[in-house]
Amino acid sequence: MDIRELQAYATLFATIILAVVLYWYIVYLYRSEKKGEKDYEKLGDIALDDEIHSKPINTSDPLPEKKERNK
Amino acid sequence: MQSNAALEYDYTVAKLFTYTTIVFGLVGMLIGTLIAAQMAFPELNYLLGEYGTFSRLRPLHTNVVIYGFMLSGIWATGYYFMQRVLKVSMAESKLAMFLGKFHFVVYLVIATGMVVSLFMGITTTKEYAQMEWPLDILVVVVWVTWGLWMFTLIGIRREKALYISVWYYIATFLGVAMLYLFNNMEVPTYFASGGVGAITHSVSMYAGTNDAMVQWWWGHNAVAFVFTVPIVGMIYYFLPKESGQAVYSYKLSLLSFWGLMFVYLWAGGHHLLWSTVPDWVQTMASIFSVILILPSWGSAINMLLTMKGEWNQLTENPIIKFLILASTFYMLSTLEGPIQAVKSVNAIAHFTDWIPGHVHDGVLGWVAFMVFSGLYHMAPRIFKREIYSKSLIEAQFWIQTTAVVLYFTSMWIAGITQGMMWRAVDEYGNLMYSFIDTVTVLHPYYAIRALAGVLFMIGLVMFAYNMIMTMAASKKLTEEPQFRSPMA
Amino acid sequence: MFHWLEKNPFFFAVGVFLVIAFAGLVTILPNFAESARPLKGLKPYTVLELAGKNVYMKDQCIACHSQLIRPFKAETDRYGQYSLSGEYAYDRPFLWGSKRTGPDLHRVGNYRTTDWHENHMWEPTSVVPGSIMPAYKHQFTNIADIATAYAEAVTVKNVFKTPYGNDIQPGVKAFEAYKPKVLAEAKKIAADMKNKDVKDAVAAGKIPEIVALIAYLNRLK
Repeated sequence: MDIRELQAYATLFATIILAVVLYWYIVYLYRSEKKGEKDYEKLGDIALDDEIHSKPINTSDPLPEKKERNK
Repeated sequence: MQSNAALEYDYTVAKLFTYTTIVFGLVGMLIGTLIAAQMAFPELNYLLGEYGTFSRLRPLHTNVVIYGFMLSGIWATGYYFMQRVLKVSMAESKLAMFLGKFHFVVYLVIATGMVVSLFMGITTTKEYAQMEWPLDILVVVVWVTWGLWMFTLIGIRREKALYISVWYYIATFLGVAMLYLFNNMEVPTYFASGGVGAITHSVSMYAGTNDAMVQWWWGHNAVAFVFTVPIVGMIYYFLPKESGQAVYSYKLSLLSFWGLMFVYLWAGGHHLLWSTVPDWVQTMASIFSVILILPSWGSAINMLLTMKGEWNQLTENPIIKFLILASTFYMLSTLEGPIQAVKSVNAIAHFTDWIPGHVHDGVLGWVAFMVFSGLYHMAPRIFKREIYSKSLIEAQFWIQTTAVVLYFTSMWIAGITQGMMWRAVDEYGNLMYSFIDTVTVLHPYYAIRALAGVLFMIGLVMFAYNMIMTMAASKKLTEEPQFRSPMA
Repeated sequence: MFHWLEKNPFFFAVGVFLVIAFAGLVTILPNFAESARPLKGLKPYTVLELAGKNVYMKDQCIACHSQLIRPFKAETDRYGQYSLSGEYAYDRPFLWGSKRTGPDLHRVGNYRTTDWHENHMWEPTSVVPGSIMPAYKHQFTNIADIATAYAEAVTVKNVFKTPYGNDIQPGVKAFEAYKPKVLAEAKKIAADMKNKDVKDAVAAGKIPEIVALIAYLNRLK
């Protein structure tokens, strides 16, 4: 198998994998919204409500923050 | 993160980049208008002696508008909205503040060096990478500084989720970093030859066909990561904020993002169709160029749908006019590009004026309009004054829209005319036209294009005037406007 | 996985980087060695030709002229044999160009002469009526930078193994020793020219830019 052939296979597989990942991501987006884990559309409000004192929009993470990174 | 009543967003750096956007816009487009006129009226080549020929000025035009006007605009808006969507002020971090200011200073040094060296003819001639090696090193410094600034701010953010615009800016940072480095690999001849000749000169690490592939991998993706990715990021912030409507579909914006990231890089080879690069590279570039329509239109349609139910704003607010027309031009040029990337169309279009035509409906109609609307939106907020004149913005909008339409229609006709004449043969199979016939025939179109340049320039001067008056003489605002920008 | 990526901007950035880099690696790398191979019998540019190439770059001829003949009948009829990858093996940088406001120049040496170029660069419309190309009269007085061209030859010889002779060596001394060879080449070109200033300059041991440029253009075949 010469480098050309190897290259062709590598391209093919990598392309397929990336395409699968992309579609998997679509499924993930809709599923996690349906299950109520996330609300992506709410993130659109980040642009609208961007005063420095307003409350952060993102509440998509149901787990409490483990460590406070804002110091 | 205690709440501090006095805490405000800090726009020092955003303001600095706003000034350079205006200055470089004026300089770059003035040169552009001049060289457009030179093609119609060659006598204009002799205004500045050796330094005023079309050939010397053309790279100056492209570099000043791309790296002066456009990048300044991208950074002015970036230093503005990044703080806001992350809900953290630059005043909260000394490091972020330092990085921002340092970024601006080094940027100004590079920009000055770029203008001077290109005037002198010190150039690598690789398109949009013309700067020689000492400036290239500074570019790396600037870019890394900007990246550090971004990640510093992200590190101390209050808003945990990164807004989609931030994603686009991160991608810009990474994409350009990688491509620029690879394309500008060069060996300074002074050091490699034991101190002979000019210190600024260098030779490319790659030769011939390889150099071409690396160059257009960069050239195309400079288009991707400077003209497209950050500009999409800008519209995702400014259109919703100015109209008060959240993005129509946030999920679609995420998908378009990944689609764009994945597909864009493959398309670079379409600048080298019918050349000596391997066939499969050419074919793949062609195919991916067509696929590229999907993620591009995904973003553009998302923007148009964001206005759903609020189309009345289009008549009431000239900034919305700019934003909507920008996304429409984005759709036009991302459809036009793939058409030109089809091999049979490319055979006619390549090397003709259709290419600059395509570039300009993108950069004038999409990029410049986005920069204008971004800065107009920011002005009342960073200068705390109302925009000086609404009617000036309206007039600017119509004049510049006319200019863009004149530009691309004349260049479409010029390009296709020339492409067809180059290949026209008579009944015996002999070429019908000598080369000069295909040049003289274009005179009227070049004249129209020069007129388009003058019109766009007039609009730009109106923009600059409006901005300066806003900074200096407009009515003060006591409270920050929430959505629609106030204007007199 | 996606949830985690959305939370970690750093790894998100790594993800973006991989996706972007992937296309580049696949398209570019594997063909590198093959595309770099010179055509059999291809000679590297002489120092004078390199100086001419640098004039070509300095005055940005590339803004309007291509050096790439595509494999169409209309192009081969007009410009000659279509371009081959191996012909460019010593071109650093490549000078294919992206716009043909003027004609292609990849084989201009086949059908234009020193004399023609001299007239054309002095006043383009004198040989091509209707031409919109500017005159480049400053090339007749500006002196070409031979030292930098020599440095370039040394660099490509030592770093990229371009096959130059043993007389191309690093250092200012070696350059001084080599200079007469460049001047001899320039004199041959100047002999076919009629501009008095140029002839005088070459006689006095200086090489105007136009001489170097014509040497380069004549070499393009």
